Amino acid sequence: MLAGAPAVSYTLKRTDGKLDGLDRYRGSVVLMNIWATWCPPCDAEMPELEAFSREYRAKGVIVIGVDQGESQSVASLYAQKHGVTFPILLDQEQAYGRSYSAVGLPTTIVVDRTGHIVKGIDGQLSIAQMREAVASALRAR
Amino acid sequence: MNARWFALIVAIVAIALVVAQDIVPTTALFHAWQYALALALAAFVMVAYALSAQRGEDGPIGKRLAIAHVGALVVLGAGLASGLLGPDTDTIVRTPGTVAPLPDLGRAAFFSAADGAAVARGDAHVLLRKRGEGDIDIAPGAKRYLANSVIYTQPTHAAFIDAYDTSGNHVTVTQPEGSAFLSPILLFRSEATIAGKKLPFDTFRTPGAKRVIRAIYFSAKDTANMNHVAEADRNAPTVLFAVDDDAGKTLGIAIGASGKIVNVGGLHLRANIGTYPALVVASAPAPIALIAGLLIFLAALLWSAFAIPPKPALREAHG
Repeated sequence: MLAGAPAVSYTLKRTDGKLDGLDRYRGSVVLMNIWATWCPPCDAEMPELEAFSREYRAKGVIVIGVDQGESQSVASLYAQKHGVTFPILLDQEQAYGRSYSAVGLPTTIVVDRTGHIVKGIDGQLSIAQMREAVASALRAR
Repeated sequence: MNARWFALIVAIVAIALVVAQDIVPTTALFHAWQYALALALAAFVMVAYALSAQRGEDGPIGKRLAIAHVGALVVLGAGLASGLLGPDTDTIVRTPGTVAPLPDLGRAAFFSAADGAAVARGDAHVLLRKRGEGDIDIAPGAKRYLANSVIYTQPTHAAFIDAYDTSGNHVTVTQPEGSAFLSPILLFRSEATIAGKKLPFDTFRTPGAKRVIRAIYFSAKDTANMNHVAEADRNAPTVLFAVDDDAGKTLGIAIGASGKIVNVGGLHLRANIGTYPALVVASAPAPIALIAGLLIFLAALLWSAFAIPPKPALREAHG
């Protein structure tokens, strides 16, 4: 992962049908989670990711999910069933997964307010690890 | 043969070798010590002649030819420098949208993102980036020189895969053994032997549908002989899919033409078949030194021709 490099952004459709992309959140710290519905660790991580999103939204941290290669209906159904409130991008061409060199799922990328990569983390995270992952980016002004 | 002609022939042969190094830089000969030794010996011959000519040992023509040899030595110097200081030949194959560091050049290569249409067209680019400097765009067919290196792209077989389950839902494609885990683009880095013939081969998975797929690339020439491919598709490359379940049981085999969906083993698969660039970095003579040296050599050679005294006219014999 290229820590310090500009974070690559692709504009994609979200589960709610609107267009969205990482670069739309410039000015906020972003925790981007690359995942898929069939992935057991992603499934296990999702409740903590949702809790983290709710807890940190007011602190200026945006969580976005990027579903890899799946249909809108599959990802939407999953999001509804699990009460996911953060935006989920539908990356059917797996462009984010490729560009961020994800070696497995889930992969978490932290992007600072200026749109640069802070770090990339492979594998399932606990809410404590998510808090720690964004701490330095939140401190930076 | 006198010294003048010997030195001149040595210079011409050595220049031809360095020019060939620029045209086909990846040839192994140009990276061998024997090549460097041959250029060094040629340089020795030329320097020896030029010094004696400067002393006037070959008359006014020799003095002018000495300048031509200086030009040839510039060309040889460029060839030697690239052979000794330039990078080893490297062909870098990466998945679209990824980055490869190029430490010898102090840059990073950005392999442009490509969708199925871009793979089918085969027009993707590679960008070389360095902080604080502009991008260098390596388009298909273009050659760029950086220090003692030449950089260009080479098309490699590629197929962009779209996979759907039996309900028609798009499913994730992964390549645990490939160059990028989350890539739906096959680059066929391996080979499979079928009927004694080696063919480009790759594998991918669809974990959501619990399938493992082997893919074999058939060129247009190979496809032309396949009777079970529709006649309209026989003039273009195809991909053979062999689908297994995750327990290793083979569920089906099918051949897909570019852009067309095939139904096999509980999957609907579509391959957009084409090419994606691999980046080739090789050492090559610096073009400025090469051109300058050649111009000096040719100009001085022409100038020496004017110093050749005219043959005396034949006098009529008077009896």
